[in-house]
Amino acid sequence: MNVQTTEKIPLITLIGPPNSGKTTLFNYLSGKNYKTVNYPGATVEYSISGLQKKFNINANIIDSPGIVSLNAHSPDEKISIDALFNHPLYGQPNLLVVTVDSSQLSRHLLLVRQLQNAGFNIIVALTMNDLLKKKYQEISLSKLRIALGCEVILIDGRTGEGINTLLNSVSQNISTTKTSIKPEPDKTVINDRQSLLNIYKEIEQIENDVVFETNSNGNGFNLEAANSELNLLTPKPERKTKYTLDATTLKIDKYLLHPKLGSVFFFLIMSVTFASIFWLADPLMGLVDDFFAILSTEAASLLGNNWFSDFVSTGIISGTGSVLVFLPQILILFLILGLLEDSGYLARGAMIVDKPLSKIGLNGKSFVPMLSGFACAIPAMLAARTIPNKRERFLTIFILPLMSCSARLPVYALLIAFLLPADKLWLGGIILAAIYIFSISSSIIIAGILNKFKSRIVKEEDNSSFIIELPAYRKPKLNFILMNSYMNVKVYLQKAGPVILGFSIILWFLTYFPNTNPEIDTTGLTETEIVNAKEVERLSTSYAADLGKIIQPVMTPIGMDWRVGVSLIAAFAAREVFVSSLALIFKVTDDNEETIQESMLMSMREAEIGDTGKKLFTPATITGLIVFFIFALQCLSTVAVSRKETGSWRIPILQVVIFTSLAYFFAFITVNGLRALGVS
Amino acid sequence: MKKASELKHGERLTISEIDFTHPSSQRILEIGFTPGQEIELIVRPFFNDPLAFSVRGSLIAIRKDEADCIKVA
Repeated sequence: MNVQTTEKIPLITLIGPPNSGKTTLFNYLSGKNYKTVNYPGATVEYSISGLQKKFNINANIIDSPGIVSLNAHSPDEKISIDALFNHPLYGQPNLLVVTVDSSQLSRHLLLVRQLQNAGFNIIVALTMNDLLKKKYQEISLSKLRIALGCEVILIDGRTGEGINTLLNSVSQNISTTKTSIKPEPDKTVINDRQSLLNIYKEIEQIENDVVFETNSNGNGFNLEAANSELNLLTPKPERKTKYTLDATTLKIDKYLLHPKLGSVFFFLIMSVTFASIFWLADPLMGLVDDFFAILSTEAASLLGNNWFSDFVSTGIISGTGSVLVFLPQILILFLILGLLEDSGYLARGAMIVDKPLSKIGLNGKSFVPMLSGFACAIPAMLAARTIPNKRERFLTIFILPLMSCSARLPVYALLIAFLLPADKLWLGGIILAAIYIFSISSSIIIAGILNKFKSRIVKEEDNSSFIIELPAYRKPKLNFILMNSYMNVKVYLQKAGPVILGFSIILWFLTYFPNTNPEIDTTGLTETEIVNAKEVERLSTSYAADLGKIIQPVMTPIGMDWRVGVSLIAAFAAREVFVSSLALIFKVTDDNEETIQESMLMSMREAEIGDTGKKLFTPATITGLIVFFIFALQCLSTVAVSRKETGSWRIPILQVVIFTSLAYFFAFITVNGLRALGVS
Repeated sequence: MKKASELKHGERLTISEIDFTHPSSQRILEIGFTPGQEIELIVRPFFNDPLAFSVRGSLIAIRKDEADCIKVA
């Protein structure tokens, strides 16, 4: 991070409409070395960085959220726009670099004109020239400069083309320009619709003057372009530029947005997305898991048999492992989301689901957060920021914990394995699919019910709207997607990592103390057996066990005992901790031939409730546990992020109370219902 | 004169006015739907909502209810 805080450092703000290539340019200028911060007291984020050292310009650069006009339509937009005029920390920018899609001049110049009318010092960066060339059109830069009265530079943020020219004029601009007039929001008269229409008239005139048709699509020498630059063009026809859509895009949309086929393609694309999140990530997650298991064993044997050794191997190393084990899934999710977004499909997916989602109080823009929720609720909640309507945004955040996140997978895997006879393991996939379908349907029902109480959840009655640009399809740039995924994963690690690690350390403390070196009868026991017996004794006299015994009365009605209770509490660090915690409590060791899971299933099958002789884990209680995990909000990181994103404790507390009681209620019904039906 | 939401698939007409009483009208204006512009209905999806129009060389999806405030002739 190389943000300069001295007051004299010039500030450049990047601004532009959505899909104008703004963030691509920002990544290029900052060299992915930026930090993302919230505006004070708000959930709106901006990114700030120093310009990359190699560019040799001493300036800070801010990437603000994409806006269509200077006229705010949501509280979040208002914060971004106000910050443009006067940033709460960095003051007023010395220079605005405005990104404009070359093929969208007539729409994107609106913002440029508004910014100029407000008195800003700006440079226009024209992007996506390839799309314009495909339409057999070109822009005369010299004419556009004159028409706009500011510097205009052609760039390609993906390849870096034109960046040096842009940097030269940025450098020249900030060293020479002394802004004498201070930009003022009220100078712009942007609220008046007639002035909007006037700006459009002006823009259409500019467009007519600077855009011209060519005979070539960018390959080879173009006489007309040269002529136009020299102003030698033959008399103009009345209307030179015709608005046409990208031809390839139209062809693809014939299928992807076809009234009937479109839905088929949507489900196909979603299925492939899900399948790859699970099946591609699975072997990688195994690798991460194995790596930390080995590291933990090595550390334990290196440090000897004492509390510190156990703290390092179990508390720290395994704790870190439980954070990092999700990296493959989250990374793959972001890669696929990146591919879908960069190619242009994501906006179309949002369009397809807008109607059904609006029926349950959500928005087409809830689509991406919900999709992300299947990997992890934390990046999903951050993604919900793009929903302008506050109520729809909060409702989306509200139901995100119900999306079956990847942390539930190891839990389901263990519980399903318990249910299945050894010769029918293939059923596992079907049961898992059924769990997913069940959790999707129940989250839809819950969202529908919550929607009935929407005015109690969020009081503000905003206009519900869905206006979205469907960008032209483009071949995704892989290195750009990789870089973005890397940044997203970094954000996940920074937000969730410390919480998960912190809780696994607390959990370690609760399961290790106070009886650190229990006395046991060691006669006739081998070295390993002594260690194991000590572990069991230590745990059953630990703080965690005390805690578990307090909640025993709550666990009995759903057929569980304190040991499951402790694991359920432990799962609040992260759901998959449930598995490692069960393993710890049921003294599972991996020193024999079997895998951890096999020996764990064996001790689970033998476990009894107290001295009653009744089996603790039966098909009924295991199914009850699965149902519990479908609904329960057992993830403190999610609660923390929900608090941050909604700005108060109201929503997160409601989420914990509602979802966890639902989980308990349905687990109770499942266990006792199954028992009544004769399933033990 | 009819509403943009009543356009048939592939039908191309010119915007005659925008109903400014609709709360989304300003955003509709800012995204490029202005009187005098030709628009064409490109996508009428499964649920008939939202609709995607071609305007100023871009493809814009807006809800049917919002497209109601765009009058075409």
